Amino acid sequence: MSEIYQPKILGFLCNWCCYTAADSAGVGRYQYPPNLRVIRMMCTGRLDPPFPLEGLATGADGIFVGGCHPGKCHYIDGNYHALVSAALVHETLTRLGVNKDRFLIEWASAAEGPNFVKIITAFTKRMTELGPLGVSEGLNPGELRASLATAAETARGRKVRTGLINAAKEMMKGSDFSRKTIAGLVTDKCAKALDELITAAD
Amino acid sequence: MNAPQSGKSEADATRVSSGSVLVVGGGVAGVQAALDLTELGFKVYLIEKSGAIGGVMARLDKTFPTNDCSLCILVPKLVEAGRDPNIEILTLSELVELTGEPGNFTARIRKQPRYIDEEVCTGCGQCTLYCLKQIGNDFNENLERNHAAHIDYSQAVPASYYIDAKACLRLNYETCGLCAVACRAGAIRFDDREKVLDLKVGAVVLAPGFGRISDEVMARYGLGRFQDVITAFEHEQLMCASGPTGGEILRLSDRKHPKKIAFIQCIGSRNENCGNNYCSSVCCMYAIKQATLAREHDPECEITLFYMDIRTHGKGFDAARERAVREGNFRVIYARPPRVEDVFGGGLLLTWATESGQHLSEKFGLVVLSQGLESPDGAAELAQAAGIDLNEYLFAKTAINTPLATSRPGVYVIGAFQGPKDIPDSVTQAGGVAALCAGQLVSGRGSETIKAVFPEEREISAEEPRIGVFVCHCGINIGGVVKVPSVAEYARSLPGVVYATDNLYSCSQDSQKLLIETIQQHRLNRLVVAACTPRTHEPLFQATMREAGLNRSLFEMANIRDQCSWVHMHEPEAATEKAKDAVRMAVAKAHHLTALAEQQLPVTPSALVVGGGLAGMSAALAIAEQSFEVTLVEREPELGGRTVLLTADRFGHDPRQRMAEMVAAVRQHPKITVHTKAEIAAVSGYVGNFTTTVATDQASIVVNHGVMVIATGGRPYAPSQYHYGQSPRILTQLELEKKLAGKQPLAKNASQVVMIQCVGSRGEDLAYCSRVCCGQALKNSLRLKKLRPELAITVLYRDMRSYGFLEDDYRAARQAGVIFTRYQVEQKPEVTIGKGGKGSAVKVRYHDPLLAEEVELAADLLVLSVGIVPEEPTTLARMLKVPVTAEKFFLEAHVKLQPVDLPVDGTYVCGLAHSPRSMDETIAQAQAAAGRACHPLARGSITPAPIVSKVDPEKCIGCGVCEAFCPYKAIVIYKEEKSRKARTLTASCKGCGVCAARCPTMAIDMGRFTFDGIMAQIHAFGEGVQS
Repeated sequence: MSEIYQPKILGFLCNWCCYTAADSAGVGRYQYPPNLRVIRMMCTGRLDPPFPLEGLATGADGIFVGGCHPGKCHYIDGNYHALVSAALVHETLTRLGVNKDRFLIEWASAAEGPNFVKIITAFTKRMTELGPLGVSEGLNPGELRASLATAAETARGRKVRTGLINAAKEMMKGSDFSRKTIAGLVTDKCAKALDELITAAD
Repeated sequence: MNAPQSGKSEADATRVSSGSVLVVGGGVAGVQAALDLTELGFKVYLIEKSGAIGGVMARLDKTFPTNDCSLCILVPKLVEAGRDPNIEILTLSELVELTGEPGNFTARIRKQPRYIDEEVCTGCGQCTLYCLKQIGNDFNENLERNHAAHIDYSQAVPASYYIDAKACLRLNYETCGLCAVACRAGAIRFDDREKVLDLKVGAVVLAPGFGRISDEVMARYGLGRFQDVITAFEHEQLMCASGPTGGEILRLSDRKHPKKIAFIQCIGSRNENCGNNYCSSVCCMYAIKQATLAREHDPECEITLFYMDIRTHGKGFDAARERAVREGNFRVIYARPPRVEDVFGGGLLLTWATESGQHLSEKFGLVVLSQGLESPDGAAELAQAAGIDLNEYLFAKTAINTPLATSRPGVYVIGAFQGPKDIPDSVTQAGGVAALCAGQLVSGRGSETIKAVFPEEREISAEEPRIGVFVCHCGINIGGVVKVPSVAEYARSLPGVVYATDNLYSCSQDSQKLLIETIQQHRLNRLVVAACTPRTHEPLFQATMREAGLNRSLFEMANIRDQCSWVHMHEPEAATEKAKDAVRMAVAKAHHLTALAEQQLPVTPSALVVGGGLAGMSAALAIAEQSFEVTLVEREPELGGRTVLLTADRFGHDPRQRMAEMVAAVRQHPKITVHTKAEIAAVSGYVGNFTTTVATDQASIVVNHGVMVIATGGRPYAPSQYHYGQSPRILTQLELEKKLAGKQPLAKNASQVVMIQCVGSRGEDLAYCSRVCCGQALKNSLRLKKLRPELAITVLYRDMRSYGFLEDDYRAARQAGVIFTRYQVEQKPEVTIGKGGKGSAVKVRYHDPLLAEEVELAADLLVLSVGIVPEEPTTLARMLKVPVTAEKFFLEAHVKLQPVDLPVDGTYVCGLAHSPRSMDETIAQAQAAAGRACHPLARGSITPAPIVSKVDPEKCIGCGVCEAFCPYKAIVIYKEEKSRKARTLTASCKGCGVCAARCPTMAIDMGRFTFDGIMAQIHAFGEGVQS
């Protein structure tokens, strides 16, 4: 196989910003790699953590979530909730030994077709570098996908979700929407549930 | 004031008026007016001079103060207008004559030919591609080329191309005609001719926008002579990512990034030489926006702004400007360079005089001319056609108490033609004019609009999925890259698909017929269209489904053009694979689609207005004129608010008299119920169904109403500065107004008056500019001067914000001998009072920059221009669950496009509760709030999109997390027997899905975006990976 690996990428785009940006990239005929498959949502706030985990379990090499810029969410603060879900996904990946780059959450406003193209092009390049899920991680792809499927299942459970709720509550109270702070909150509030989640996945 | 602005008389009231309105001008003001009018039950003819609606806003890259993308917020409105069956858009059209009377006009329209049939054109762009004749691209300030067969911009509405008759080779020389060959849809019509149409309308709204400052005026600043002197419009195009330079700010001379940019303000404004004495109101702010964008493009370049005064008086503008100047590290110079010179060795030389009289000069690499707004081209012709009067600057003539009415009854004016203004004020006026037309034409409401009627929906819940898939070629847009027939064939192999085919244009009129036939013939119960984007075309296909008797929620779209063929043009194989995946994922989701009930929630056809001042009463009257019941609640014993503190407007009319007339009109109006000495005690419900408890001094009254207008007003700032209250010689402007209306307005021996501006405002106690105080100081100076011409008046100011036509007063005051001296915020005037008791002298000491020394004046009268403080909004805001700003003004839903809507549906704000504003602005804004508030009332019911959340009570544990996180308060916890459960308030839910993603027990799901549906999409994605 001398051919360059073609990664499988699944994207969740919000209707008002990133999906519109993707459309306007088309109107402007900006070209980007054809690896992305898109699921449209009204808002990234709809992103239930099982979605990206299931996406990886079912065959994606990378997941992209695209929303409105912070503070510009069409639904006021849905993208902040998406950051909470994203933090859980990142933490899960870390614990499973998966490269965190495989899950990307980024913003492109409705006006930013070229920015969307830039993000997707760079993400596709990165996923090409990493190769099939598990390979760059030195993990057995089949086993890894099974673990991810279990993780997706567990993320439907009350314990994990309660942790996320508490993290989201603190985030709203503190009005600090930096990724770092949110990641800290999620790791903190979901620590126990994550332990169980990972044990189950293992 | 009691006579409505329509000019409707008693006799007219019984006569049935037309149910149509003509809107002249398809810019943001005209489009908004058209949309608002159809919401209120009127048919609209929207005529536009150019080939597409959108106006100037469509040409802007960003809009201040948020630097939002201009097109992104405009285009949805344009699409909505294009799709509205009750808006007829006539492009390349002009009004040539208006005959008849208010209520029953005949408008003669001249429409130029497009030479491309709008109904047939699919917007594919092949004609442009083949067109041999190049023309300048006016849309891009001629910085790029376009073709004779063209579309103005890619998101244009109508999304149809047209041919420039002056340039076309076929039309002029009988050659070429390639476009007709290239057009697969067969839309080219070389035999198209000019048409003259006579339209029957009840009212006319003029919204022609503004014109450009002539090149001649700008030539004085080197435009045309020096390549690197550009207009602000050209700079806007350079900033734009989709502009001629791909978003790079380049000098046109050497295509290099400028290292030193100068913005010169007041080009063609505040300038007696070119006849434009007025201030254009928007340039100060747009220059800040452009400078900010220039900074984003180049963190290194030096940016200098030359201002005469910084007029950033809009809501939140001062704060935005201060931040931009600080973060962008801009140099701000108070001066007006008179010309631009080129110098040996390159560069553009600017010379200016500082306020202290120093002469300085410096070289710049790029000079941007902040050109003002002029009356629109052809204003005189339009005025003649419409039969209205213009003011001396050729803008439409209006009056303070009827800001949107022209001199001819039934003809209204909005937007920049009413006076230079920004987008929010234009959009506000659009809302206001809709209310006025609706009031004037109330007898014709609904008489000419059509309502789409659909057959009864087929019950499909018991059926197995029978999915139909339609794959679109979109001419060659998709078919030229993706192998469409093979995608259709692939679709046929998918589970549940009973029918799949491909069409040339799925959106064309005949395809809709085919869709209906196919749905019925094959008893399809789900529909998947693989074509362009759901964002623009979903409503079309959904309407078709409803015509075929299917619920519109049984629809899913696969985006194989905008996100596939157009972005993978050189990879046909991969694009085809991607299209197949998209179709498979859409089909998988379609399995999980269910028919969702269209909720029709009734609306209580009445309004509650809180506040009985100028804003509240204007709103109440404008609603009542549309024949809806209004309850007006006022805290004080009397109606009238604070406007009665003013004793003259700038034209010498007494507002108190007008207020008395208005109070009488409100009191006598059969549709208005007034409660004075009353306050809002509690509010519950949602749009269409509010229940409010009004507490009066006697009783507690429960009012059911559909909408609510907040007009709680403001009051004068109570100063503690400058020894206010310690001497009878120290007054506020309002106290001076009272004196001026009194028996002895001025002490006999008074010879020196000093006024100090911005007392409390702009960062002292109030963070914002109070907008009206400069105008008030000018007005009162002129009143004093009229009283005693020899009186010496000195106005100490920071920036004289006499925006728009108020600039006339500024000039008049200077001509009358009023002295204006700028003070620095860090060097405020100092006031001392002599120790001789009550009548002792008041001395004002300040720095005079021209003399470069301290000056002391003994003021017989010291007048403080105090700011405006909003009435405490917290309690009411909490009851309504609407936000207020840090300055305690109510925060509108969208600064630009919903300037009077509050974020909670069915609630609106106007007057000083929104932000400081003048009387005429308050009236227009109140009418706008009234117009917007009547949308649900006129509709009679509300139909929220069925994408709302739904709670499974079995799974719900009543934890209240959804209620806490919902940004719209659209989900609430209620008690059922002993347990707590969540319930969606369908009318308020916007479908974001945060509640579903956060619910601990996954008891909440979203309409059309269900958990299972999305999971099915994910799994379908996975199938492709494994195959």
